[in-house]
Amino acid sequence: MTEKQIPKMQKCIAVLWPSFMVAIVATGLFFSAFDPDDLYPFGQETEVSRLGIYSIGFLCFWLISTIAGIGTLYFAITNCMRSDADKRDC
Amino acid sequence: MATDLKKPAVAGAADEQVAQSLYAKAEKIYPREVHGLYARLRVLGVLGLLGIYYITPWLRWDGHQALLLDLPARKFHIFFITLWPQDFIYLAALLIIAGLLLFFVTAIAGRIWCGYACPQTVWTEAFLWIERKVEGDRMKQQKLDAQPMNARKFRIKATKHFLWIAFAGWTGFTFVGYFTPIIELGQRLLAFDLGPWETFWVVFYGFATYGNAGWMREQVCKYMCPYARFQSAMFDNDTLIISYLPERGEPRGSRKRSADPHALGLGDCIDCTLCVQVCPTGIDIRNGLQYECIACSACIDACDDVMDKMGYEKGLITYTTENTVQGRPTHIIRPRIIVYALILSGIMGLFAYSFSTRVALGLDVIRDRNQLYRETNEGQIENVYTLKILNMDAADHSFQLKASGIPGLEIHMDLKKIAVPAGGVLELPVRLRVNEGALETRSSKVHFQLVASDSPELAAEEEARFLGPR
Repeated sequence: MTEKQIPKMQKCIAVLWPSFMVAIVATGLFFSAFDPDDLYPFGQETEVSRLGIYSIGFLCFWLISTIAGIGTLYFAITNCMRSDADKRDC
Repeated sequence: MATDLKKPAVAGAADEQVAQSLYAKAEKIYPREVHGLYARLRVLGVLGLLGIYYITPWLRWDGHQALLLDLPARKFHIFFITLWPQDFIYLAALLIIAGLLLFFVTAIAGRIWCGYACPQTVWTEAFLWIERKVEGDRMKQQKLDAQPMNARKFRIKATKHFLWIAFAGWTGFTFVGYFTPIIELGQRLLAFDLGPWETFWVVFYGFATYGNAGWMREQVCKYMCPYARFQSAMFDNDTLIISYLPERGEPRGSRKRSADPHALGLGDCIDCTLCVQVCPTGIDIRNGLQYECIACSACIDACDDVMDKMGYEKGLITYTTENTVQGRPTHIIRPRIIVYALILSGIMGLFAYSFSTRVALGLDVIRDRNQLYRETNEGQIENVYTLKILNMDAADHSFQLKASGIPGLEIHMDLKKIAVPAGGVLELPVRLRVNEGALETRSSKVHFQLVASDSPELAAEEEARFLGPR
């Protein structure tokens, strides 16, 4: 039933949007606990400003949670496709 | 979620319908402009909230930006309060309170948040207003979109998008102005000297505004809003909803203004579909309560207008409760409301208490890790510490330091006076000395007490270890 397939755009939103919100929470929690100036990633001192570190941190959190979201979507769809061929609306 | 409360028997069909609409490709909705009491209220809300958003970062307080969540400096200035990363718990508590408040208000008044105060609604209204100014009313917009591209259409569309992008850019700039001082940000912007990350966030937030309020609109509410999905959990039959009164309206049908509906066997609904045309989410409220409804009450305004023109009583579509529609009494105070209110007031009380007794002084003691202890020339045992003193108060203070825990404990430090400016941090090396005979064990507890000289309630205490030979 093709008309019941989820549009690509909605799949993108379904992954990117919740992971965006999770990334905001994770960034807030992480940088409340750790001052970027106290961090030495891979043992190196960085010359990036605090705002830069926050931003990079946020983008990394977003990337990680996006990957998790893609995994969830992938498993949800493939599991759904395997079950009950007649009622496929994945 | 289908909340077709009226007809539980067809809930399955309603579910199917919702599923269809969720999977369907979205078609552009052209909400018709609406005038009336609730439209005026919403405009008031929109202007008020946009005003607060755009003006607040420019307010000054005591020589600094009144509301500045200064991420680069790790300090939040909220008027006369300065919050530090240590105060994270207060922000978390505030968020919990805001969430509970939303539950509470939703249980009583339904989705008035969505209709009047949600940023998505507020910015969409602003973008719709720009669109109407540039493209004209609903009919003109639809006609324009149906045309093939030509010079006139291009000019109109380009103007609209230019205005949208300018407005969105200003929104993004203001957003970043909450996190870095906005006056300097503005100066740097005019000098084309914004930092890479500031530029990134201005563009990012501006783009999000443009996309959400210009393009996505009601789809944000339908596909992205978590609140819209779980609102049914907060609703009951006493919750304020917007509803069409089918007993009064049905059977619907068109008729002449002079005609007597009773003689024709008709209800009050003249089936003009204005309620559908004004709906920003494109639903027909006459089909019952639907999850897409953001309770904006545009349909009430539109229908009241029509009822007036027809000489019928207003309120065919109205704010009501499910119980009232069913002819049962409505209870504002009910167990759900009492429980929400109790939890909410409990957490608010705790927050107010702990915030009012918050001590604006931080003290951390770090023992020198390089050596366990040292013997001085006078034969005393010495331990070295670094004290991190954080003056979170709005005034400068000088402090007195005491140490206790071992008889005859002496404090030695290089500074004559411990002075920390408002909002400042001082790292203070301190040596504690004691006669060897006073030590009873290899490791003793000592306490550092720090008190502001001018206000004794500004005090902090911290425990540390003192190591010795036995």
